[in-house]
Amino acid sequence: MTSERELNWIDGFSRNLVHRAARRAPETLSERLEEEWLADMAERRGGFSRLRLAVGCYWATYTIAREHSVAVREQRVAVAAAGPRVARVDFSGFEQEDASPFSRRGATFLFVAFLHAAVLCGLAVGISSKFTKPIPNRFEATVIEKRLPPSVLPPPPEPNWSTVTVDRPPVDPLPPIERESPPPTGDTKGLTTEAPRVDLPPPPPVNANRVPGEPGKGFPNTADFYPSASIRLGEMGVAAVRACVDPNGHLTSDPSIVQSTGKPRLDEAALKLARAGSGHYRATTEDGKPVSSCYAFGIRFELRN
Amino acid sequence: MGNKERDVRMSLQTLKVLEAFLDNPSEQLSGAEVHQRCRLASGTLYPILLRLEAAGWFVSRWESIDPSTAGRPRRRLYRLTPTGLKRASEVFASFNRGVLA
Repeated sequence: MTSERELNWIDGFSRNLVHRAARRAPETLSERLEEEWLADMAERRGGFSRLRLAVGCYWATYTIAREHSVAVREQRVAVAAAGPRVARVDFSGFEQEDASPFSRRGATFLFVAFLHAAVLCGLAVGISSKFTKPIPNRFEATVIEKRLPPSVLPPPPEPNWSTVTVDRPPVDPLPPIERESPPPTGDTKGLTTEAPRVDLPPPPPVNANRVPGEPGKGFPNTADFYPSASIRLGEMGVAAVRACVDPNGHLTSDPSIVQSTGKPRLDEAALKLARAGSGHYRATTEDGKPVSSCYAFGIRFELRN
Repeated sequence: MGNKERDVRMSLQTLKVLEAFLDNPSEQLSGAEVHQRCRLASGTLYPILLRLEAAGWFVSRWESIDPSTAGRPRRRLYRLTPTGLKRASEVFASFNRGVLA
């Protein structure tokens, strides 16, 4: 419930609003409108009803002043057409809403429209370029074959083809042979069946006709693995990936980065590409025969405008 | 406001105000009484009253009371002029014919 104090405050505020509204009206109507509106307000019951009347009067002032300005302008035109004899008519008090070429409402509208246009232009031109980088029109990524220096790849373990000593298994002693001849007179107590040492032939030399493997037919396209973030940021680089491949071109272990691009996103993309290419590797061949091996190859991520 | 008779732009709100006066053309009504009959907001009602008065359809005068004695401000009373009565009747008659004057 609204207390009496609040009602008095609303009533006073409404009267003040009516007074201000009347002051904004043309001078010849100001006093009349104020008294008329206050009289009508006195007939209203309820503080909010009076407040609504006061707000409406404030709004009505704009309409009344505008229409008054039009009437004054028409009257001026009529006076000018009538000649200088009647040009002494006093128009003071009718000009206050017509002094500016733009009404207050029109000026406010223009100001708000200008603000909107400025913000839109700023977003379209100035500000957006600070937060986004232009995306290249075209990008290209290729898988390149890169031979790493020997020091990068660990040399394969050399098989030990040196002489192998094989111990002969012990042999059961043969039963004594009965001879007619007299048994030997020598002592046989220390006789053993020591196996002779056998020297294996030297190992065959390493096959010199070895062709290292590389990504083969059907290997995934590098462009499909180019990270979109790297495209936006213009990241490029070459990664060297080490892959261990069986004779069928399948990975036998997870590939690894042996030379980074310097961009973690591109390194990760290179590993994904290497994994996706399992089954499409060309195995290393020795004398034309595919063998399991590990080798490195390069993946280049490159953007071209 | 001048007293020269002018054309008045007819709107639904203007017709409501005229209708309130046409119930009893000789009656004098204040803005508060017109508001009670038309239920128009004050921001709409008073410009219409002044517009019709400037066009010569209405005349207005102050209520004949002493504010200090009555304890309230004088009311402004509006009344249809003969011209206003004639023009308003024509407007409503045109509605009956289906054509707005």
